[in-house]
Amino acid sequence: MTADEFTREWALCQVAPGINLLGITILIGRRLAGGPGIVIALAGLLLPSVTITILMTAFYARVRHAPGVQAALQGIIPATVGLGLVTSWDMALPLLQASQREGKASLGLSLLILAGAGLAVAWWHLPVVLVLCGAGVVGALAQWMRQRAIQSDVRP
Amino acid sequence: MNPLVYFWLAFKASLFSTSGTGNLPSMHDDLLARGWATDRQFAESLAVGQVSPGPSGLWVISLGYLIDGLRGALLTLVAITLPPLLILAVERLYRRVKHHPAVEGFVRGLGLAVVGIFIPVLFRILASAGWDIKTFVITAAAIVAGATRRVPVIVVLIVAGVVSALLG
Repeated sequence: MTADEFTREWALCQVAPGINLLGITILIGRRLAGGPGIVIALAGLLLPSVTITILMTAFYARVRHAPGVQAALQGIIPATVGLGLVTSWDMALPLLQASQREGKASLGLSLLILAGAGLAVAWWHLPVVLVLCGAGVVGALAQWMRQRAIQSDVRP
Repeated sequence: MNPLVYFWLAFKASLFSTSGTGNLPSMHDDLLARGWATDRQFAESLAVGQVSPGPSGLWVISLGYLIDGLRGALLTLVAITLPPLLILAVERLYRRVKHHPAVEGFVRGLGLAVVGIFIPVLFRILASAGWDIKTFVITAAAIVAGATRRVPVIVVLIVAGVVSALLG
């Protein structure tokens, strides 16, 4: 597998359902040994990490009431949230930059989708999956119309 | 808790996500509405998921364990392993249509909505630690540490835990 192939397959994993690392593991497993390769690659990735995750959680569940643990957690929770906010920023930034390159209207719509989706779930309690699909459809329609407008400008 | 319904909720959340934590808002919404999990348990499992090895998306296995023991963890494992297999089906289709403007627009709209839904959930989880000056300072410090991209996640979490425990 070349670096270029990896980059292309990783890009595909970014839009495919579920955890990206599982997606790329499946593609590499298939490339190496077909169906059995997928099973072996997934097992190789998941067996150790899932076992350790379960053991760590079981350990935590046992000590959660010990003195000090809750006090530490009071610090770990805000740290987790802080890191989550950085991740959110990393996810949103390239999308907003792409919109900005297309112009103010596109950037405005992107910000509206971002804020609207948050409000729709946090405030109006609409189902998350419905809001995600709705946002996708709005984005698709906007791009499609924009592209048609550009094409009709080019053709006199 | 009904294990079959739980499995469906975890599966659905993973199916409609495109990253390891993309399933968080959907799980949060569904499980809290049923009273099967608390904000606190979400915070705890996210923290374990950050520290444990493997993809960060394994946080949800920790959540499954916290709410339903080993059965919950194993149900979650199956629920998050199935959706990525769909990549085999969408691969050809996606390669053909990925440059279509509507597809690019859909992916962008979806990504923006994920972030928009994610942020209020993060603040609810933050609220489970209580609003005080310590919470605020640690959140800000973690943002700075994360933004430098130089400090490993596990170091940020350990320092935050130790500082918080020392302050009492």
